[in-house]
Amino acid sequence: MSEKLQSVKNSLKRPRKKSRLPLIVGASITLVMVIIGVISMFWIPQDVNVSDPSIRMLPIGTPHHLFGTDFLGRDVTSMLMTGVRTSVIIGASAAFLSLFIGTLFGMLAASISKLDEPIMRTADIFMAMPGIIFALVLASTIGAGYVTTIFALTSFFTPAFVRVTRASSMRVLSEDYISVARLYGRSRLFITIRHVLPNVSSILIVQFTIYFAAGVLSEAGLSFLGVGINRPSVSLGMMLHEAVEQIGITDPLGVWPGLGIVILVIGLNLLGDGLRDYFDPRFSQRVR
Amino acid sequence: MDNFALKVEDLVVYLDDLIAVRGVSFVINKGERWGLVGESGAGKSLTALAIMGLLQDGWKTSGAVLHDGMNLLQASDKTLSARRGRTMSMVFQDPTTALNPVAKVGKQITWILRHHMHVTQKDAYEQSLVLLNKMNLPRPESIMDSYPHQLSGGQRQRIMIAMALACYPELIIADEPTTALDVTVQKQVLRLLDAAVTERNCGLLLITHDLPVIAAMCENVAVMYGGRIVETGKISDVFTNPRHPYTKGLLASQPTLDNIDLDGGTRLPSIRGSVPPLYAMPDGCAFAERCDFATQKCKELPELDNQIQQVACWNPVAEARKGA
Amino acid sequence: MGRFILRRLAFFAITLLTTSVLIFTLIRAAGGNVAAILLGKNSSAEEIHKLSTELGLERPLPVQYFEWMGNFLHGNLGQAFRSKQLASHLIWSQAPVSVPLSLGGLILAIIIAIPLGTFAAKNFNRPSGAFVAVLSQIGIAVPVFWAGLLLSLVFGVHLHLLPTGGWVPWSENFVGALRSLALPVFTLGIVMASTLTRYTRTAILDVMNEDFVRTARASGMSRRVALIKVGLRNASLPLVTVLGLLAAEMVGGTVIIEKVYSLPGISRMILDNVTAREVVVVQSTVMVIVVYVMTINLIIDLAYGLLDPRIRVGK
Ligand SMILES: Nc1ncnc2c1ncn2[C@@H]1O[C@H](COP(=O)(O)OP(=O)(O)OP(=O)(O)O)[C@@H](O)[C@H]1O
Ligand code: SF4
Ligand SMILES: [Mg+2]
Repeated sequence: MSEKLQSVKNSLKRPRKKSRLPLIVGASITLVMVIIGVISMFWIPQDVNVSDPSIRMLPIGTPHHLFGTDFLGRDVTSMLMTGVRTSVIIGASAAFLSLFIGTLFGMLAASISKLDEPIMRTADIFMAMPGIIFALVLASTIGAGYVTTIFALTSFFTPAFVRVTRASSMRVLSEDYISVARLYGRSRLFITIRHVLPNVSSILIVQFTIYFAAGVLSEAGLSFLGVGINRPSVSLGMMLHEAVEQIGITDPLGVWPGLGIVILVIGLNLLGDGLRDYFDPRFSQRVR
Repeated sequence: MDNFALKVEDLVVYLDDLIAVRGVSFVINKGERWGLVGESGAGKSLTALAIMGLLQDGWKTSGAVLHDGMNLLQASDKTLSARRGRTMSMVFQDPTTALNPVAKVGKQITWILRHHMHVTQKDAYEQSLVLLNKMNLPRPESIMDSYPHQLSGGQRQRIMIAMALACYPELIIADEPTTALDVTVQKQVLRLLDAAVTERNCGLLLITHDLPVIAAMCENVAVMYGGRIVETGKISDVFTNPRHPYTKGLLASQPTLDNIDLDGGTRLPSIRGSVPPLYAMPDGCAFAERCDFATQKCKELPELDNQIQQVACWNPVAEARKGA
Repeated sequence: MGRFILRRLAFFAITLLTTSVLIFTLIRAAGGNVAAILLGKNSSAEEIHKLSTELGLERPLPVQYFEWMGNFLHGNLGQAFRSKQLASHLIWSQAPVSVPLSLGGLILAIIIAIPLGTFAAKNFNRPSGAFVAVLSQIGIAVPVFWAGLLLSLVFGVHLHLLPTGGWVPWSENFVGALRSLALPVFTLGIVMASTLTRYTRTAILDVMNEDFVRTARASGMSRRVALIKVGLRNASLPLVTVLGLLAAEMVGGTVIIEKVYSLPGISRMILDNVTAREVVVVQSTVMVIVVYVMTINLIIDLAYGLLDPRIRVGK
């Protein structure tokens, strides 16, 4: 009678596993970029601030200057390596600080009801502000540089972490086993740290990579405006700033820093998406 | 014209390598009320959704679902959507999420009438009022002008039923239509459904965990377990004289006058163990792990036998064993 | 709805107040000695003190804040120390560049993203849908200014279709002004569209899994009709919220794009005045921008209230 069941059984296909490709590609790109950044801390082909007018604007592929030289004869390879380092450091620091502060306040808001309103309204206010304008003002009043940029980015990334942490904490706090823990006299804050943090950590890791990417983009934008990273430091956005200021948009050197940013950001976003799929509880249940 | 409202033949529903419904067959004649019972996860909802062609993306089907002169499993979304709401309709479990939150109730009901019956807006409006009236909804005009969030769960479920009945379908499927409602409202809603079937002579497939409801409303019952129908027949036969060990356990775990222990409240026997998960569904009888009568033979898949009260079991409960 | 509007208005006012304090503190506390900077390196302490007093910069900061805010609320945005030009005049003079650029970009983004995101959601399990998803993923990773550089290379330098920079005032040559805004608006539009496309896709996919879409289909809507009649309308709710966030991104994008295309807009004005330590002008300009973004946000919030009957009608 049940021929259908038999024929279906014979034709069954293993579920198409959700591809791990984004995770692998994203992680690889990120890793390569981080490695380039680390190498640049110990070794670069040439000092990024040493100019040599006799070798201005060398083309790509010149021996000793793989990516050529700029309008002052500075080595582009070295600048690119250093620029990648700057992007990674600033993006990661801003994302990490926001993660740290945001998680703290998010958990406070979720577990201490008196603090909920004030914290969330403050987050709303920061969220609605045009961050770049503030960064611009900040950079020109207290001076541009690493610290200012990281500070500005952190201020505007933190609310997103506060929201995510609070929302996820609220969800976990409403689960049954939490009520049991409460019956045993645990404080909400203790429960949040003990039970909620492990539960929301995967969401936060994903959020971290996304804001890492956002940090890279924002730093590049600020440096392009000339209010982020300046000489003697080097950043990818700043290289584009110099190229456009000095030569104009036709400068072939305008291509590489931009490409560097795009690759790094795509890598991070892929990593974030990949991690999200990897952590997704619905998905992992299904895989069983 | 067929005299059945629905004929399901060897329906298999699966997602990738998980088979949730494993060969289900039954016929619902016009005017017939069928109850579908079974433990959570038995595949009741998926059977219903497969019939309606409303399975989520990724689910596949095999077998045949005959209704309105065609095999619905092979019909396109367009063909199906011309039937849904007109010749067959479905009432879902949770009325709080089942109505479009941004459209007025009136718009949602009249759309069905205008779409399927091609009546004017004015006629659709009048007919909707009549429908709501029949559903014992007071002040239908104001209900037509309300958004779902302004109404109670019971009101919303009545609206859902009104929508399901709007075009005089041949078949109504109700998937736990009262689970989300409180007890007094449950009765009223079921009575409405019951009256509608009588009045319109349509087929009803009522999915519920509430055996007394089925006993009160339906003529026939199918008991599902592990994606299969394990026992089916007339209510009077199945409920008084269960032949499948699972049905027997299910009935024994219902509170009745017999098993209320007057000294110490109720002590209901429950079936030990739990339904095997889909990925670990045995090839043989799905109930074997929990069955007191299991034998070597049960490693093979039992089919429904040819009795009037059909059972799929190698060692069906005999009349004599009933009391044991 | 009434309470909802009141709440929104209150939030609007509180946000503006908080932001104004923040702006003032940031610019004044961190700005160094304004008079010293205005006078240059070779100025004596007396001169500096004299100018400070003259400009009213010696008074306690709270007093200065309330004076500034009081004037601001009366429409007096202050003036530049050196040129004595009115801040309102300076701001007004760049509005014809920045306002059309920012709003144009936002509108273009919406026009591109809603259909594209809908398409991607509708075809989410087909190659065409995946292609759009990948495209928006790449678009999100491209910095605005680099997109601007590439676009002006292609359309300006190579194809000679549009100017790659500079500005022709509206009054001088309307078409010329349009042409000089074309590439900037396009750049801003497609960059913001990438983000919005992604949000649209997710919002629609989420909505299509809702119970009420299943009900709609159970009552006779085909997939396509359910998407258009029920899906889009419901997906518009989360999307409206996203638009609010985009408004802040829009200002950032505008500032950067003006730089790429050397447009005499808000970013040049702020940068110039920040460098010149024209603190009052900067304070007021930033405040005006914040008001601009917040007003867009407020309109969006109210629109949300109108779109969602659960807020509009109440119980
Ligand atoms: N989206 C899904 N992915 C994987 N498995 C699913 C999915 N939906 C349902 N199932 C599985 O299919 C089986 C049958 O589900 P179904 O909803 O039909 O059960 P049911 O009999 O209606 O149960 P209930 O009484 O709880 O409504 C269950 O084992 C369930 O876990
Ligand atoms: S077939 Fe065997 S295991 Fe299954 S119910 Fe019957 S007796 Fe029990
Ligand atoms: Mg069910």
